Amino acid sequence: MPAPATVRRALLVALLVLWELVPRLGLIPELFLPSMSKTLLVLWQDARIYGHAVLITLMEVALAMVIACGGGILAGAAVGGFARLRNLLLPVFSSLYAVPIVILYPVFTAWFGVGSESKIAFAGIYAFFPVLLSTAAGIQTIDPQFLLAARSMGANLRQQIVRVVIPASLPTVFAGLRLGGALAIIGVVVSEMLTAAAGIGYLVTLNRTILDSPRVFAAILMILLLSIAYYLLSRALERRFVVWQSAGKPLQLAQSPTQSAV
Amino acid sequence: MSAAIEVEGLSHVYGGTVPALEDISLRVPAGRFTVIVGPSGCGKTSLLMMLAGLRTQTRGAITCLGKPIPQPDPERVGVIFQEASLYPWLTSLENIEFPLSLRGTPKGEMRRRAEAMLELVGLTGFGGRYPHELSGGMKQRVSIARGLVQDPPVLLMDEPFAALDEQTRMTMGHELLRIWSTTSKTVVFITHSLTEAVYLADEVLVMSARPGRIIDRITIDLPRPRTYEMMATDVFGRLRDRIWRQIRKAD
Repeated sequence: MPAPATVRRALLVALLVLWELVPRLGLIPELFLPSMSKTLLVLWQDARIYGHAVLITLMEVALAMVIACGGGILAGAAVGGFARLRNLLLPVFSSLYAVPIVILYPVFTAWFGVGSESKIAFAGIYAFFPVLLSTAAGIQTIDPQFLLAARSMGANLRQQIVRVVIPASLPTVFAGLRLGGALAIIGVVVSEMLTAAAGIGYLVTLNRTILDSPRVFAAILMILLLSIAYYLLSRALERRFVVWQSAGKPLQLAQSPTQSAV
Repeated sequence: MSAAIEVEGLSHVYGGTVPALEDISLRVPAGRFTVIVGPSGCGKTSLLMMLAGLRTQTRGAITCLGKPIPQPDPERVGVIFQEASLYPWLTSLENIEFPLSLRGTPKGEMRRRAEAMLELVGLTGFGGRYPHELSGGMKQRVSIARGLVQDPPVLLMDEPFAALDEQTRMTMGHELLRIWSTTSKTVVFITHSLTEAVYLADEVLVMSARPGRIIDRITIDLPRPRTYEMMATDVFGRLRDRIWRQIRKAD
């Protein structure tokens, strides 16, 4: 048996070959599925347009993640760390998480206009909840024995937080950040597709309305690459900072409906 | 012999209504190995937490090395818990260094002392391992090393070997006696195992079911060093039997 990694690579190559062959052989009309070579060609020809669009999208995603991660970690730490706040707010946040937040997007365009601001706000809020919930879960599920042991060794409150609470909750927080980042990308791209004048999602919609399939697929390809790059980056960061968890048992994210409806 | 720990008329009421401990008085002479046994839920862990300054009793006084202990004081008391409660994000060595690092001990000295403890508990060469790479027994060894590294005169142990299999447990008991004999600490040790109690102790305190009281104090005058062979002797059997009858009465 070949190694799983080899099989995966072979599958990927097969998929790419099919992408090239199926439209060329006329099995699927090029309008529905343009061949890989045509898609790559327009990507090459319009490199500047696509590059610019990707940069705008990246900037929006980055700012949305700053809002989501910063706000989510702070709010999650507060909710996870204080029982009163948790009892009061956690049910609210949990149920808000189930709301398809995309319904807010029209409101955001009214408030912030059709420019980047509304995308950043929407994606930021969209990604905020999983970060908040997993941070709260990460802090809440810390083994109380860890803190008891730290106290018995004379740790003061600051040392308990810095030396125990933060490292102990890191794996769960990281899982939330990874999910939050993925949602920020989805949030930005979707909102660009709905109403926008720039960004990679905008290129999908624009070219779809003029039935320019190769350019639609070129944009989709870029989004795909963006997500994969993000995934690899976050894995690498996680491996770097959460040695003990990745080496031991698999991640457990409490309360993680992986992705709610957009 | 001067007393390392003295408890006078200690009572504890849990949550304002449930009496947990009732009129506990005890005296642990310095350098002695005292074991507390009692039925589940009799409050022996609570008592130990109070001796460690981790919990406050409702009434009564605790004196540890001549002073009360209102909060944890690692200079006087080291605590070893049932679950080894090592930090999974630190290596064995870093876990042992943890209490020293809390007090800003210089890195070189910290490393030296931790290495010495690692050697004492028989884990030389395992310093770079993370807890999940160690067996249950090895984790408890690291935990003991962490409790000893600050060199507190008093060591409190809350069922440290309860999660281990019988064989490992016997070995660890033996190891603990070896370590104890080289360090001359005062030890208060909680266990469910009567064999372990008789094997380890200078004195066994038997507690009743809730509310916990001390209903018997049994001096174990078996010679030291203790050996496995002693467990088969009549004296050992009679001592274990006496504890058993007290506990059954208490339950």
